[in-house]
Amino acid sequence: MKVYVNQNSVEVLPGMTVKHALMSAGLFEEREASRKAYDEWGNELGVDGALSEGMRIYVKKSKV
Amino acid sequence: MKKWKAAFFSAFVLFLFTTFAHSQQAEIRILHVNDFHGFAEPYKPLGSDELLGGIPYLAAKANQLRKEKPSLLLSAGDMIQGSNWANLFEGESVMEWMNEMRLNAMVLGNHEFDFGQEVLKKRISESRFSILGANVEGLDAVKPYVIKELNGIKVALIGVVTEDVPLSTHPRNVAGLRFRGPIETAERYIRELEKRADVIVVLSHIGFPADRVLAEKVKGIDVIVGGHSHTKIAKPVTVGGTLIVQAWEHAKGLGVLDLLIKEGKRIGFEGRLEEIRPEKGKEEKATLALMKKYIDRVDAILSVRIGEAEVDLDGENVRRRETNLGDFIADIIRDASGADVTLINGGGIRTSIKKGEVRVKDVYSVLPFDNYIVVIKLTGKQIKESLEHGVSAVEEGEGRFPQVSGLVFKYSPSGEKGSRIKEISVAGRPIDDGREYTVATNDFMAVGGDGYRAFGEAIKSSRDFSVVGGMMKGEKVVYSDSGRWLRDVVVEYIKERKRIAPKREGRIIEIQG
Repeated sequence: MKVYVNQNSVEVLPGMTVKHALMSAGLFEEREASRKAYDEWGNELGVDGALSEGMRIYVKKSKV
Repeated sequence: MKKWKAAFFSAFVLFLFTTFAHSQQAEIRILHVNDFHGFAEPYKPLGSDELLGGIPYLAAKANQLRKEKPSLLLSAGDMIQGSNWANLFEGESVMEWMNEMRLNAMVLGNHEFDFGQEVLKKRISESRFSILGANVEGLDAVKPYVIKELNGIKVALIGVVTEDVPLSTHPRNVAGLRFRGPIETAERYIRELEKRADVIVVLSHIGFPADRVLAEKVKGIDVIVGGHSHTKIAKPVTVGGTLIVQAWEHAKGLGVLDLLIKEGKRIGFEGRLEEIRPEKGKEEKATLALMKKYIDRVDAILSVRIGEAEVDLDGENVRRRETNLGDFIADIIRDASGADVTLINGGGIRTSIKKGEVRVKDVYSVLPFDNYIVVIKLTGKQIKESLEHGVSAVEEGEGRFPQVSGLVFKYSPSGEKGSRIKEISVAGRPIDDGREYTVATNDFMAVGGDGYRAFGEAIKSSRDFSVVGGMMKGEKVVYSDSGRWLRDVVVEYIKERKRIAPKREGRIIEIQG
């Protein structure tokens, strides 16, 4: 399954989560440093959230 | 004649009542949670210094909000599996809490299947609310929908779960079941229910992106109460004429959606997400007692003796050399998955177990991460490259150092990085660079953790995931059990064997030069 993290594509398995996508993109530790993951509509995502084909995730400084 | 008059009068009264009732507007409230995963206690999420969640506080908030308006309390799935508070009781603790909360309905999430169908049926039998799964075929205990009447308003609740359930749990958990597409299923039941209900709610465990597609493609859904993607939706999202809500995860949020209904139509709404924070004195007492009861039971279970180690199990040296604990865990993984070879990172093994009694908590300390087993086909060449990577930082004691099963290799710790591996054999034969082997690992390494790239490359080239003969198949991926933590697989193994005495078997041989 292909998903995008900050515009870069990563491949993960069905059943994997946002955490795996961030790991694959090398951004999981960056997220820990007060950054959060958001979907393409700007909603915050829990790191155990399910992925879907073509999903776009953005890791950025938290809104609050 | 008298009979005719009486019948006419009754029909007239019914007509007046129906007309009057439908011309009135009524307000109802939908409270909702999703993806609880057994997170009963407040915790600090990654990247946050603030404690969030906690079921005593969520229950108190739900009770307060329910007093204000006629309400339904709903769950969009993935409730009974995930943390020790849930897993150690196979979800019984969570079901007791949901009963205590007076939940009205819940849809099955993919993780509700993780303990197998017999356990799921038992959990369903314990529930005092409706458990839905309109697109699940073969599980008689779940209903496709339920109609609840609230303040004179008939609310139809239809449940749909992701059709990818068979790809995210062990095949045996879904044997004999069929998961139909959520869109075709919703279409079918909406047509059936649109004349019988004033409001149609789809309780969905398919994720926010799929909820948006559902709302676009299927007309007639008033509200989608979602889960699966753990999305924090602060205000309801409108797609077409449908409102979509989702309440984040882990009891950190309680969704609130107020609907104003007139003549069977939604004429207004207001929604928000209440973030749940622990505030002393604000907890709901019965839920607090229930939470503590199961915390005490968790502590008791973690202290249960599961076996006897006849030797010390070395978890200290797993980043520098083969150890008996590394061999032991790698063997269990290979045994559980049926792979040719196991290759795991030493850094995933966090401590040792002393000779003597082994308790559940000893295994949990050794394997504290929520990792699960994945099996991927790698060529002999890719295995060699992976092992080269694994031993490339042995002098720094990095977590990438491999622990293995099913293969033996020789390497030179002082050799040039990238050329340290000298010899590899699988099942007693020299490895064949061009042949594919099934390699078991953990999900962390499968996505490139500790710099292992070969698994990611294999996943990238793997296509067409599907369930064939009860087993998930991809071109390169043959096994993925995301519903069962590796530490629980190890606990079960020790429970069955009782006495363990693993040796360091000479799988990783250091040579000079």
